[in-house]
Parts: sequence; C-alpha cells; structure tokens
Amino acid sequence: MSTAVVTPAPAEQMTKLHNATPSFFGTMRGEFFKIRRQWTTWIMLVLFLGVMILPFIIEATAPNVRTNIQTDPLHFFYNVLSIGMSIVRVFSGIFLLILTARVIGLEYQLGTIRVLLSRGVGRLQLLLAKLLTVAVIALALVVVGILLSYLLTVIVVAGVTGNLNAFSALNSTFWSDAGIYVLTILLNAGVTILLAAAAAVLGRSLAFGLSAALIFFPIDNIGTLIMQLAYRVTHNDFWLSLTAYFLGPNLNTMPVPLTSSRVEAIGQAPVYFADKVGTHGIQVDGTHTIVVALVYAAIFAVVAFVLTWKRDVKE
Amino acid sequence: MTEKLMTAPGAAAASPRSAGEVVLRTRNLSKQYGNRLAVDNLNLEVRRGEIFGFLGPNGAGKTTTIRMALGLIAPTSGSVEILGLDVAAQRANVLPRVGALVETPALYLYMSGRDNLSAVGSVLGGVPKARIDVVLELVGLSARQKDRVRTYSLGMKQRLGVAMALLQDPEGLILDEPANGLDPAGIVEMRDLMHRLSAEGKTVFISSHLLPEVQQICTRVAIINLGKLVTESTIEDLTKGQGEFAVTLEHAEMALAAIQEQAWGKGARLDASGALITPAPDGRGRDLNLFLVNEGFAPDTIIQSTQDLEQVFLHLTNGGSGGIL
Repeated sequence: MSTAVVTPAPAEQMTKLHNATPSFFGTMRGEFFKIRRQWTTWIMLVLFLGVMILPFIIEATAPNVRTNIQTDPLHFFYNVLSIGMSIVRVFSGIFLLILTARVIGLEYQLGTIRVLLSRGVGRLQLLLAKLLTVAVIALALVVVGILLSYLLTVIVVAGVTGNLNAFSALNSTFWSDAGIYVLTILLNAGVTILLAAAAAVLGRSLAFGLSAALIFFPIDNIGTLIMQLAYRVTHNDFWLSLTAYFLGPNLNTMPVPLTSSRVEAIGQAPVYFADKVGTHGIQVDGTHTIVVALVYAAIFAVVAFVLTWKRDVKE
Repeated sequence: MTEKLMTAPGAAAASPRSAGEVVLRTRNLSKQYGNRLAVDNLNLEVRRGEIFGFLGPNGAGKTTTIRMALGLIAPTSGSVEILGLDVAAQRANVLPRVGALVETPALYLYMSGRDNLSAVGSVLGGVPKARIDVVLELVGLSARQKDRVRTYSLGMKQRLGVAMALLQDPEGLILDEPANGLDPAGIVEMRDLMHRLSAEGKTVFISSHLLPEVQQICTRVAIINLGKLVTESTIEDLTKGQGEFAVTLEHAEMALAAIQEQAWGKGARLDASGALITPAPDGRGRDLNLFLVNEGFAPDTIIQSTQDLEQVFLHLTNGGSGGIL
C-alpha cells in the first residue's frame, strides 16, 4: 500500500464503471484474454499445426504419388481429404477437450469462479460465455485446419507434378462430400466441448475434468473391442448391439455413411456399421450416427448446465 | 499515498445516500447442510460508512454468510439485501457495486497481477487502465504488476485480492480475513486503508480472527457462534467494563484484602499484571480513591477498567471453541 500519486481515471469513465453491470460479451472477452495468456494454448496450437503437416510430408514423399495423382487424381484427392480431415477431427477434438477442461476446470480449481460470480455475472451466463468462447476457437481451428489442408494439398500437387492440372478433376460431388465432412467435424467439436464441460463441472476441478474428458474416447473406442470379446464368450448379440450407441465409434464413422463411403475415417466403428440392411435390428447409418451424437450432446449439456445452475459455489 | 481512492472526484459526495442507510441487511437468513444448521435465522444490519466486524470461531458460519451475501450459496431460507435490493433477484444490479474478497485470494496464477485485474474487470465490460494503475498503487503492487502471480508471496496475493475488490470503486466491501498473510507493516497499512475507505463513505464488512485489529478498525461488530447471532454492538459498548476500576499501587494484596472486607468490594481481584481490579463505593472512583487513602494505600493510578475484544469474544463464544454458553 503506497504513498505515490497516480493519475486517476477520467470522471466519465469512473461513472460508467460505477454503473456497470455484467456484460456477456465482456465476459467472453475476458475468457479470450485468459486463454491467450496460457502457454498450454499456444503449445497445443503448434502441436496441432505440426500434426496437420506431417501426413502431407509423408504423402509427398510416397513412391507412387506422381503416378497416383496423374492416373486417378480424384481418388488421390479423396485420400487426402480423408486423411487431412480425420487429423483435423481427432486433433481438434483433443485440443478442444483440453481447452474446455482448462477454461472451466481451472476456474473451479483456482477458486476464481467465486471472484467472477461475486461481480454479479450469472452462473449460466458465465458457463455460456465460456462455451461460446471455446466454440468460436473451435470454428477458427477447423477453418485453419481446412485452409492448411488445402494449401498443403496445392503444395504437394504442384511440387510432385509441376502443375495444378489435377485439380480440374475435382467435381461437385467431391466438394459436397468435403462440406459434409467439415460439418461432421463441427458436430464432433460441439459434442467434444460439451463432454469436457460436463466433466469439468461435475468434478469442479481441472484435474478431474481433464482426466475424465481425455479418457472418455479411448474408453469407448476400446469398449468396442471389449464388447466383441464379450460376444465371443457369451455368443449374445446384445454386446455387439451396444457398440452402436458408443459415442466415439459413431463420431469416427459419421462421415462415411453420409458420403456413401466415398471418404474414409480412422478409429473404431460400431460393430454393425457394415450391416446396411440392419439384419441385427440396428442400422448404423448416417442418421443413426447423428442422432447418437446429438443425444450425447444433450446429456452433456444438461449435466453441465443443471449442475452449474443448482450447486452452491464452495470453491 | 493516493489522496482519494474514489477516482471520480466527488463521486461519493454525488451519491444521494445518507449515512445511516442500511447497506447490507440479512433477514432471517439460514443455511442448512443435511442436519447441520450452518447459519441460523441471522439478522444483521450494516450501515453506510461503517466498518463492521463479523466475528466468530471457526465453523461459526461467517464464510457461509458471506457467500450467501454474494450469491455464491443459496440460502435455505431468508434473504440478503444489499443497497436495498434483494441479492437473489437483483444480483446483476447489486453485486457490481460491492467488492469482495472471500477467504484466501483466488487468482489466476499463470497471469501477472495487472492481467488478473484486467481479466476480472472484463466481466463488467472492462476497467480503464488508469483505474488499474490506481488500485495497483493503492495496494503497493505497482512494482510487481507485470510479474506472474505464482511468484507472489501470500501477502502480495492478499493485496491483489483487495485490489480486485476495489477495482470498480464499489460502494461497499466485503472482506473475509483481509489481513491474512500480511506482515505487521502491511496490517497497519490495511488498517489505514479501511479507515480511508470508511471516511469516503464506503461501507466495509470485515470478517477477521485478528481481534486486536478488529477492535482498532471497526465501529461495530457482530459475533456469531454455531450459526446464531450472539451479539451485535458497537466496540465501545462491548468493551466497556462493568463499572470497575484498575488501580496500581504498592502492597496491592493488602489493599485487596481491605477492599474485599467491604460490602461493595467482594468482586475485587488482581489481574495478571498485579493491578487491582475493583468496584468502587457507589460506583464512584473518587470514593474509591478516598477509601484507599484512608486505609493507608496511596494509589499511583486509578482508571476505569475496560475489557479488550478478545476477552469479550472468548467469553461470548465459550472460549472460542464454538460451544454454547
């Protein structure tokens, strides 16, 4: 506590400050500010961009790449689309899981949630501001991922063939499929954000939120294998049917049925995914994967919002 | 030291509110956790310009009350009004006008002190840089404003917590243990700060365990125990003695024996420093002096005996153990 004299803020600014009430966009600006100040954000972004570039380097240095581009350029572009977008989906997902868990969990862990709430901002308003902030970042991340993929594709094609003639093979179906793939990535990002939010709010800590969110997808991917083992032991279809309702496998698979299998996806798929006629009672098609993802998203959203709204803040 | 905490000149004077206006009021406030009643039908009134001490043993319900006042915990029953408005219904209009520091300061450890203030200020649409300079200067953190908070000492974190509470130049302050972690010089500065805030018409509500500090800072105090209000009074009324006098003299034991033979002197005793604590004939110090002189004991000093807040607190809270008297 000091004896120095400092220049006070102008009177009109102080009057505005005295009359200030919580601002939703101000809260969002605060969230962006805090995210920018975390090293983790920048480290994750660099890793994300690094991982994005890697498959293109591999693709560019593959032995038959020039022949592939020249003989069947559309197949080459579908291949690049599948790999590039799969990487955007998986790594933007990991990025968003960590980011959301930090944005919400750290507030509980540091106790700063009580500072923000005691300024008058509503609990749901704060949660919504945080989620919207992360959603904006998710959108930016996907856009950057798409642009980077496109740029790297141009570089690979130009570098390998010496021209961009192969791009003339791209037809409206390809662009439509690419658009659908991007929409599935955005849906994936939305569900991922809500999953991490629910985990962080439930555990009211960064450690719990981060662990629960990060472990969720490995568990339900591995869960598919465990269900297959259970089927082998019991010979009961029930175990295989369950995999049709696992979130991770449905998100992994989603772009494939929605593009009539013109694109490929990485990761575990539900066991009955290939059963197009639904002879086992469950038809895992595009609609099914979207419905499963939306149901999970709704559950995560309800958990996050109801717990935030109802629980006392004791941090 | 900055001459005014209120950076808008005359802002306090411009406020139409009068001294004596109730700034914080709890009405039959209760909070129940399972079978345990953490706060039991608490009624408090804190008036404008007061420095109000909120005391109680650990687990008495102080922090629960403060959290209910700030809308962090929902009351089981009852209500809290700040500046005449119900906190539950009008939190967005009321809470920005109150600065708060609840328990240990909660800070973004990965950011600098200045960035912490910017981040918290953004919730209300942003705070002018000049105002951040003022509060940083006020709490003595200007020199360390760009350092990460994780490198701060506990006392510095406490100062930053106070700076956050003062950020939007609030009309009232709710401070839970504001002197935690401060060194003796910091405690004195904190005391001065409280007095200056009060002089500017701000209302300060302090929960503290530092009873000598509370006695020096506060104008009124409330003591709660097991969630119930034990007393609410001015410091003066609470610490004034029971009409007794403290007498220093030679041969205090012999004087004590002489006094105890009198009908009015049965309660006389010696305190830890050897001073004689005694009632006076008809409650008059002049008559006590005369009695002692006539008995051959010339007093060095006779002063009205008072209790310190610590004694009162321990008495009212059954030794501070939280037990019932």
